[in-house]
Amino acid sequence: MAEVIVFYSIASLLVFCSIMVVTRKNPIASAIYLVGALFLVAAVFAFLGADFVAAIQVLVYAGAIMVLFLFVIMLLNIDPELLKSPPMTAGEAAVLILTILSFIVISVTVFKGQLVAPVGELTTQEIAKNGGNTAVIGLALFMKYVWPFELASFLILLAIVASVVIAKKDKKKLTGDQADAERNMVGDLR
Amino acid sequence: MISLHHYLTLATVVFACGVLGVLFRRNLLIIMMSVELMLNAANIAFVGASTALANLDGQIMVFFVMTVAACEAAVGLAMVIAIYRRYGTIMTDFLRTLRG
Repeated sequence: MAEVIVFYSIASLLVFCSIMVVTRKNPIASAIYLVGALFLVAAVFAFLGADFVAAIQVLVYAGAIMVLFLFVIMLLNIDPELLKSPPMTAGEAAVLILTILSFIVISVTVFKGQLVAPVGELTTQEIAKNGGNTAVIGLALFMKYVWPFELASFLILLAIVASVVIAKKDKKKLTGDQADAERNMVGDLR
Repeated sequence: MISLHHYLTLATVVFACGVLGVLFRRNLLIIMMSVELMLNAANIAFVGASTALANLDGQIMVFFVMTVAACEAAVGLAMVIAIYRRYGTIMTDFLRTLRG
């Protein structure tokens, strides 16, 4: 019974935070709610007995990625006047309703579904006997999945180089005409 | 008792929030946060299935999803900064150079 109460409170808080992330006008408010949502996802992982993934979730998401987001928000220093969106058109409202309806249908289908996949051997007792969640995952990561693991490190290296190259200042200035044309285009739309 | 269905339904609802954010928000930063929400919903489904099926491969997949998400966030935010430098805005209404 306690299990059910804990799950439903975590789940409802997570859904609340997710809704707040996409509905807040100010990106800083969205980012704060996103931190809450990420911690709650970590709580769901811990609730499922996935200790290693829960710890990584807090370290990588709530630590590194959120700091990155907050830094960019701080760096851009956006004028609140520019954040106003035009009111929703009838077509957009129709898309909104259809999307919500289709996701309700998907949720109901998922909830009524039946599990037919083959069940493996690593039950909770078996994992505890083999040294705990982290030990079992570590062994699999460095034995069975060592090649994808190395590729992931290469991908991270690529991402570091790419983000530095993309975000660095453009040394080559646009010629006068091109720059004027681009600025006019943005200005006209405003 | 909490079964796999509950976790998958929770993942669906969180994923729906992310999809609606990508579809309806015009702020690039909030669109990127919605993408992170969707990735997290997929991770909940992975870990839930991994526990229900007594198979740890799902949790290892979550590890790789997080790696790719970190890369995606870094490159995406670098692009947001580049776009802001060039156009002075991150609202998608104003970014229509590629529109035919």
